[in-house]
Amino acid sequence: MFPLRVRVLRVVLAAIPIAMLSVAVPLVNRVEPRIFGMPFILGWIALWVILTPGFLFAVYRLEGRR
Amino acid sequence: MSPATIALTMVACIVAGTIIFALLGVHRVKMTPEQFLLGGRNFGTIFLWVLAAGEIYTIFTFLGAPGWAYGKGAPSYYILSYGTIGFVIGYFLVPQIWRVGNERNLLTAADFFVDRFNSRRLGAFVGSLHFFMIVPYVTLQLTGMQILLTIAGYGAYDTTVAVAIGFLVIAFFVFTVGLRGTAWASVIKDALILAAVLFAGITLPVVFFGSPAAMFDHLLAAKPGWLTLHDGGSYPPAWFVSTVLLQGMGFFMGPHNIAAIYSAKSGDVLRRNMMILPVYSLVLLMIFFAGFTALVVMPGLKGTAADTAFVLVVQRHFPPWVLGAVAGTGCLAALIPVSAHLLGASSALAKNVLGDLFGIGTSERGRTRLLRALVLIIAVMAVALWIKNRETLVGLLLLYYNGITQMFPGFVFGLAWRRVGAAAIAAGIVVGLAVAFLPFSPPFGLNSGAVALVANVLTVVAITLLLPARKAHSA
Repeated sequence: MFPLRVRVLRVVLAAIPIAMLSVAVPLVNRVEPRIFGMPFILGWIALWVILTPGFLFAVYRLEGRR
Repeated sequence: MSPATIALTMVACIVAGTIIFALLGVHRVKMTPEQFLLGGRNFGTIFLWVLAAGEIYTIFTFLGAPGWAYGKGAPSYYILSYGTIGFVIGYFLVPQIWRVGNERNLLTAADFFVDRFNSRRLGAFVGSLHFFMIVPYVTLQLTGMQILLTIAGYGAYDTTVAVAIGFLVIAFFVFTVGLRGTAWASVIKDALILAAVLFAGITLPVVFFGSPAAMFDHLLAAKPGWLTLHDGGSYPPAWFVSTVLLQGMGFFMGPHNIAAIYSAKSGDVLRRNMMILPVYSLVLLMIFFAGFTALVVMPGLKGTAADTAFVLVVQRHFPPWVLGAVAGTGCLAALIPVSAHLLGASSALAKNVLGDLFGIGTSERGRTRLLRALVLIIAVMAVALWIKNRETLVGLLLLYYNGITQMFPGFVFGLAWRRVGAAAIAAGIVVGLAVAFLPFSPPFGLNSGAVALVANVLTVVAITLLLPARKAHSA
């Protein structure tokens, strides 16, 4: 078992990209401003797809080698 | 040579070349069930990556996703979202499933239920459900393959026979080499898909409009509102949120996905894979570009014809060899995942139904022989079913996810809550499937599978709390 601080942190780190790709999407449901020519909503989703490995890498570092 | 001959020859060369490459790659090893189904449980990071990506990016990526972009617009973004959510959930869940599989020497997805809930009958129930869900998933791939071959043949040939032959070739391929062959074939398939998708997503908008941004300008001018979600209609924002969460949870629930998990060398290999795989999802962004380009260039395709939009643009505006390369890659995207599906369905039947329930084929040699026989039998069944009944791509995929996600509580409770018993899990699955497939539409446009999953979990929790605490099962 990991210490409490680590356990809370990894849940938070995982919840952020999940929330941004699900419940946050209706909040960014618009075309402007465009991101690299894409409508904002599509650019937002693509951005979070790219950022997700960073969040998971943070969790990975936090857990250390098992 | 006619354009159709060039294109179809190209398709045949790509499929045959990939199979030969994979046959050469697989070392001759003694085929135990573990070798056959799980590649001996020693796949490293790269092999597992191509295998996992190979199972995830199917014909649906190639036809269904651009078809949705073409035919429905913004709701298609869900396809980009749910995969990444699936990887985040998978990062935590998948190494745990692997650990149980490795420690307890599990062979099939249903074995997890047998082990954690101490019930062979639950395993047989889950195994038969896996079988029934995989067969329509296979027919989905065949329908896609026929669309590709028809377009590559410029509509001049009846392609039913070609699809059936291609599929039976793959069945014999799996029969011979098992999961390791699938992984080798995925190496070529993934490289070709990447090339095809980059071509489609970047070249198409650039050729027709100068840049992807200009393509979006044209699309917004022609169809304002197409690129955002709207209240009312079939796909409101609530549908989007519930669908991406549901399918994210269902992402690794297929028996072929669980087999890929068991085949890993270590839990760390899996964690690293879950970390990198989201980047590969960007492939889908390219495929949306292709679908949107098709909509501006060639509007007017209705209903299921939308699935053909992107390949039709390639057919009309590019030379036959490009069409052949795209269609051949698409056929691989159908055939290689199908080989993993066949293994998943045959292992569920052989081990959990025939073996555990009826004591058939329990010796190592007997089981390998049974598995191989079932691969061929299931393949013939799937072709027969497909010839009788062909449905649209997305419809079939949504049905698959509604059903397969009902297995999610079993995996989570099996890992996290020891008091849950086999009866509660079985009841939860039955309630979940009933809600998912009954003809009613939930409020706010929510995905009926998501509502079913909630009903499933509530059933499991209620039964577990009502039943007296049972003895802890073997950990």
